[in-house]
Order: sequence, then structure tokens, then C-alpha cells
Amino acid sequence: MSEKFDVVVIGSGPAGYVAAIRAAQLGLKTACIEKWRNEEGKGVNGGTCLNVGCIPSKALLDSSYKYHEAKDDFAVHGITASGVEINVPAMVARKNQIIKNLTGGIAGLFKANGVTSVFGTGKLLAGKKVEVTDHEGKVSVLEANHVILASGSSPINIPVAPVDNDVIVNSTGALEFQSVPARLGVIGGGVIGLELGSVWNRLGSKVVVLEALDTFLGIMDQQIAKEANKILTKQGLDIRTSSRVTGSEVKGKEVTVTYTDKDGNEQKETFDKLIVCVGRRPYTENLLAADSGVNLDERGFIFVNEYCETNAPGVWAIGDVVRGPMLAHKGSEEGVMVAERIAGQKSQMNYDIIPSVIYTHPEVAAVGKTEEQLKASGEPYNVGTFPFAASGRAMAANESQGLVKIIAHAETDRILGCHIVGPSAADLVQQVAIAMEFGSSAEDLGMMVFGHPTLSEAIHEAALAVHGHAIHIANKKKR
Amino acid sequence: APAEKLVNPAARKLAEENNVNTAAVSGTGKDGRVLKEDVANHLKSAPAAT
Repeated sequence: MSEKFDVVVIGSGPAGYVAAIRAAQLGLKTACIEKWRNEEGKGVNGGTCLNVGCIPSKALLDSSYKYHEAKDDFAVHGITASGVEINVPAMVARKNQIIKNLTGGIAGLFKANGVTSVFGTGKLLAGKKVEVTDHEGKVSVLEANHVILASGSSPINIPVAPVDNDVIVNSTGALEFQSVPARLGVIGGGVIGLELGSVWNRLGSKVVVLEALDTFLGIMDQQIAKEANKILTKQGLDIRTSSRVTGSEVKGKEVTVTYTDKDGNEQKETFDKLIVCVGRRPYTENLLAADSGVNLDERGFIFVNEYCETNAPGVWAIGDVVRGPMLAHKGSEEGVMVAERIAGQKSQMNYDIIPSVIYTHPEVAAVGKTEEQLKASGEPYNVGTFPFAASGRAMAANESQGLVKIIAHAETDRILGCHIVGPSAADLVQQVAIAMEFGSSAEDLGMMVFGHPTLSEAIHEAALAVHGHAIHIANKKKR
Repeated sequence: APAEKLVNPAARKLAEENNVNTAAVSGTGKDGRVLKEDVANHLKSAPAAT
């Protein structure tokens, strides 16, 4: 006889583990299945984000930034730091310890909330049965009233640069280099490419980023993208748009990449390491029995409605394996919504206000509509911007690059979007996300009291600038 | 006593400028919050008493 649960979650990434905890909080008997194993072969929770994504990349970004700052930026403060060195294995070991603490933390949270943690590979059968194959190959079946599929995503491979986990790596391998590659190639100028490129650039790699598209950060607001491009290029990232990789040849410990440039000419570049990060795809390998009743869409995502319900009654899917931005916080909130709906609540999720961040330094962050999107939809809007160069707090911090941009509806003044490149952009953009959730107008933000001196004042001033009455910059016209 | 009506700062100002009692404005924001655009719509449909 198989064990029966109210909820069985497949996958313990940010979507799955949060769904499992919330379901357990709501009194549902919950199991969460995870197949991920660490280097010692032990099952670990946390998924991509904790093990090979958000957390490790941020740990390396922070360590590498401190090194860069000590080496190159301390002098402006009158601080002499000669002979600053980085021990790469020690930096990577620190990152691994953080992963260990956090993944262990999830195990603790599961225990505290009464979630049954199962290590093995989960497969959805017909009739809401879940087959689990454990790491020894033993097969068992769990029965569930509800199944939540949260199997996540995996890096996209490209045939022109096959990953060999030595010279050519994906994002996972790029978090594990034990020394600084002298010449580093990055295929893909998106979030992951820019973050990984930044880490190794700071530590001394000569980094070339090859982006196939003509537009840099095409989905971001282009004023912000252009500013980010300028700043990152100055930091040493050699960003080449319109560069389509056509082949690669590994010879010993180096790889020569062939690509066509914007004029269609063939170019060659040789690297010591090459990171392939052109995107991620939904991961559904061996997840669904043929008669599970769950359908995929044409791009391989599990097909769901706005509440994350699949075609099979009682089967839900959340996170990277379904439509929408591939972001940890998007998956987590879907997990909360689904757990609450299973428990009978009418929870909903606001897909219009999901912030996104690139953790370069300075950070790039966005929420809501870009100017390009509004132009395309024909909605009338006003824009206010404020440069960090005019922020006293930013100057004191030696962080005065970048700007805040706020876009509001021309008639209602409702805030439609906020785009930032600059210090603490991620935290600043969240303030506007909260304002947007409450339907704030630009004037609402302008009328609020912001602490001084703070970086947040740049939000205040950009909101005032929407109507041409920012205090600390010369306004273009209208008062 | 009923909870105080939630009114966003710019809505409060616009209402005050036009002698609108925000109690008479139906809020469309989160938890019935009165937005600036709600006051503007209210003014369009029912001009302020003088």
C-alpha cells in the first residue's frame, strides 16, 4: 500500500519548497520530492537558485566586488591597500559553505513545518499518483489529492559550443573555476552572462561577451540598458552585440570561437574558458507519464492557466517550468498561491509587478513597463529621471554612476514602471513596486517624506521630475 | 466606528483643492484606497459643490 498525502510537490527549488512549506502551514499533509544530489551524493533541497544559481552567483559577485574595491577604489578614500590578493579556491569554498548552510536550512524548515522530505526522482502518473525512484533505484508510489509540479529549468545547450565541463562550461561550471582564466569568453549577454562575466573580470580575466541580438538587454528599458552598457564596458567587459557564434574548436586547454560580427564578417577569438549562457529551458525530462493528463505548450513549458492549474484536475505547475519570467521570487509566489488555493483560499498573483534585477555593480533593476513597451501600446506617459551623480548619499559612498527612471501615465499619473541602474537598484526598485501595488501616482511618491541622506531620495526626485519639479536637478520645462 | 478611509496623499490634495469629501469617493485602490485618479473621475462625474 502506498502512502497518501494531501499535497505532493515534485521539486524543491524556490517554487517547490515554498509551496510545500505554505501547504504544511495550512494543515495539509505534504511531501516534497527532490532528486538533486550534492558532490558527496547526498540529497539536497533548494534547486537551481540555492545550489547553482542566485545564491552562489551573488556570493561570488560580492567577494569579487570587495576585492575589486580594495584594489582599485580604496585610493579615492585615501586608503592605501598594497598587495591585495584573492585566493580563488578560498572564495569558492566560502560560496560552497553558504550553499550548505542554506540548503540545510530548508531541511530544517521542512522538519519544523512537518513536510515529509523525499529524495529521489518524481514522476507523475495518471490519477495523481507519483512514482518515486530513490537514489538506490528503489521505486515507490505516493498517492496525492493534489500534485504540484516544480521541476524547474536547465541551461540551454547550443551545438556550436558543446559544454565539456572543462574548457567550455555552462553557468554551473563558471561558479566552480579554481583559478582566474586569463581570457574568458561568454556566449550570451543576458543577466547570467553579465553577472558571471563581472565576477571574473573583477578578478583579472579579459572578458569578451558575445551577444547574438542587435540590442543589448533588449527586454530592459533602453535608456537604462544603454547606460548599463556604458558602465559595464568601462569596467572592462568587452560586450559585442550582433555577434552570432557559428562554431568552436577546443585545442588542449583553449578554445577558439568563430562568430559573425554585425557586418556579417567572420571573426575568431581564442579563450581559456568559454561560458555558454544563452538561456534556460523548462525541465520536464521523465517528469510525466504518457497518460498523466498534463499538457506541454509549443515551447516545452507545462501548460497552465492564471492560477497555475494544468489540464489534469488537481495537478498544478509553478516556477520555471511554466510561462512567465524565470525568476526565483516568481516561482515562490506561485507556490504560495497554489498552496493557498488548494487550502480553499482565493489567492491570486499579480504578474504585472514582478521586479527583476541584474546583480552587476552597479545593479540594474526594473519593475513594470518600459518606455519601449508603452510606445508600442500607445499609452500616453510622462518620464522623470534622476542621476545618482546629484545624490549626496551616492557621492559620499563613491557610487554616483547611473540613474533612476520613473514612468507614469500621462492622464492618471499612475506609476507604470521604474527602471534603475545604480547603487542598491534592487532595493530601490522594490519601493516603487510597493507604491505600484497600492496604485500610487508619481505625485503620491513626490509628496512623501524620504530620509536624508539616503539613496532612496533618488526615487523621490525622479517621481518629482515626472512633473518637472525635482528640487535637486534642473528640470527640462513645465513646473 | 468604521475604519478611517484610506486615501493616497495626492488624492487627498486633489480632493482638498476641489472641496471634495473623500468619503463620497469610491476608492479603486488596494483595500478600497482612494487614488488620485478616483478623485479625478469623481470630479468628472459630479462637479464639486461650491
